[in-house]
Amino acid sequence: MSLGLPVIASASSMVLIPEGPFTMGKGNQSPHGPERRLFLGPFLIDLNEVTNEEFQAQFPDHRFRKGAARHPVTKVTWYLAKEYCNKIGGRLPSEPEWEKAARGEYGFIYPWGDHKPKKRPHPFYSGVVKKKVGFNKQDVSPYGIHDMAGSVWEWTADAQGPLKIIRGGLWNLHLDFEYSKAFEKATIPPGERLSFLGFRCVRSID
Amino acid sequence: MRSFDRLNRRSFLARTFAFCAAFVQGWWSRPGSARAEPDYFTGTDFVGKTRVGKFKQFYINYWKPLRRIKAADWTLEVGGLCETPKHFTLDQLKGLPTMTQTSRLKCVECWSAKAEWSGFHFSELMKLCPPQPEATGVVFHCGDIYTEHLSLADLNHPRTLWVTQMNGAPLSDEHGFPLRVIVPFKYGYKNPKAIVKIEYVNELQYGTWSKIGPYSPDGTILPGTDHPLDLGKTPRRISGGEITY
Repeated sequence: MSLGLPVIASASSMVLIPEGPFTMGKGNQSPHGPERRLFLGPFLIDLNEVTNEEFQAQFPDHRFRKGAARHPVTKVTWYLAKEYCNKIGGRLPSEPEWEKAARGEYGFIYPWGDHKPKKRPHPFYSGVVKKKVGFNKQDVSPYGIHDMAGSVWEWTADAQGPLKIIRGGLWNLHLDFEYSKAFEKATIPPGERLSFLGFRCVRSID
Repeated sequence: MRSFDRLNRRSFLARTFAFCAAFVQGWWSRPGSARAEPDYFTGTDFVGKTRVGKFKQFYINYWKPLRRIKAADWTLEVGGLCETPKHFTLDQLKGLPTMTQTSRLKCVECWSAKAEWSGFHFSELMKLCPPQPEATGVVFHCGDIYTEHLSLADLNHPRTLWVTQMNGAPLSDEHGFPLRVIVPFKYGYKNPKAIVKIEYVNELQYGTWSKIGPYSPDGTILPGTDHPLDLGKTPRRISGGEITY
């Protein structure tokens, strides 16, 4: 399957996702299904996950270790992530927005296509491996968005009961690419600060 | 040629017998087979890793076998970057305000098990032996020569508990008598047992497993699959952080 050229408005660090249909979900069973076609209006989404230095610019008390300025910020609650996005004039993405940005119009399994890479990721480590955002040149969606399968999981605006839905994935020795399919989801209490969980923002286009 | 044939037949029979014997022995002692787990410690003065009997429902991992700790001989030593180093008896610790919670502990080996735990919150110990302002974490020294580090932020998490009782009874030697710490949102290797000494420190230190294995010093439970022992090891998806079923 091939897509048309991605439409990228990249004057800033956000990318335009054009209006139109896309495939959401996979199969008919929960939690990934049902697979269906949805339509979304245009919106802008961060090219990369929010970094430590970007987060610190809005929340000066945020501390991070030397060399991690361009790593994705983690250990932030859903409330803080939402507040950050609001401060910069955006908001957290809805699940459909996140999934369209990750899978493209035709619903790839992974952001780069339907096949997992032959080379195993981080073969000698079991924890979260953080690198500069955008470091991985393969983990790029049809719209050019980075790190939607690897890096860290991401908060979304949506919820299941009291829990917030997170999307994305991470790669390590044990997880391999199993939980990096772009339709994967999990749920986390909004007050948790977890080392594998960051976020990115979106902006509506009126 | 005949002699060669006989040798081949003899050799063939001997090798077949050896293969079958090896197969039977291998099957008998295969990983996961209860028969493969001799009971080394019951009735002895020592405790260590075991998965036999009732511990099939809650595996026991120790770094090295240790002599069973006697409460009368034990104190918790608190040192490092604290205002005044101190020792606490088990009775003193049991006198602290008690909390009870049900938590599932998950091992990085993929299994998990659930119990009711009682003990005190770290804030109570901090009141008795405050850290110096520069302290950022605690290094645990355990009876099995195991060490582990936890940050003050993780120790002050409302779900982190210093445990002296399990399922309404005093901790057993296997589960970490006389004192263990449970951090339900982190893998089991971040949950030290049979603690004998703690040190306040001002930088992250690698624990035993993080030094020798591919295990992160953070140890937060990641999204993935769990095989709960009390639920027949049936695989379940987990979201990461504390498991709540």
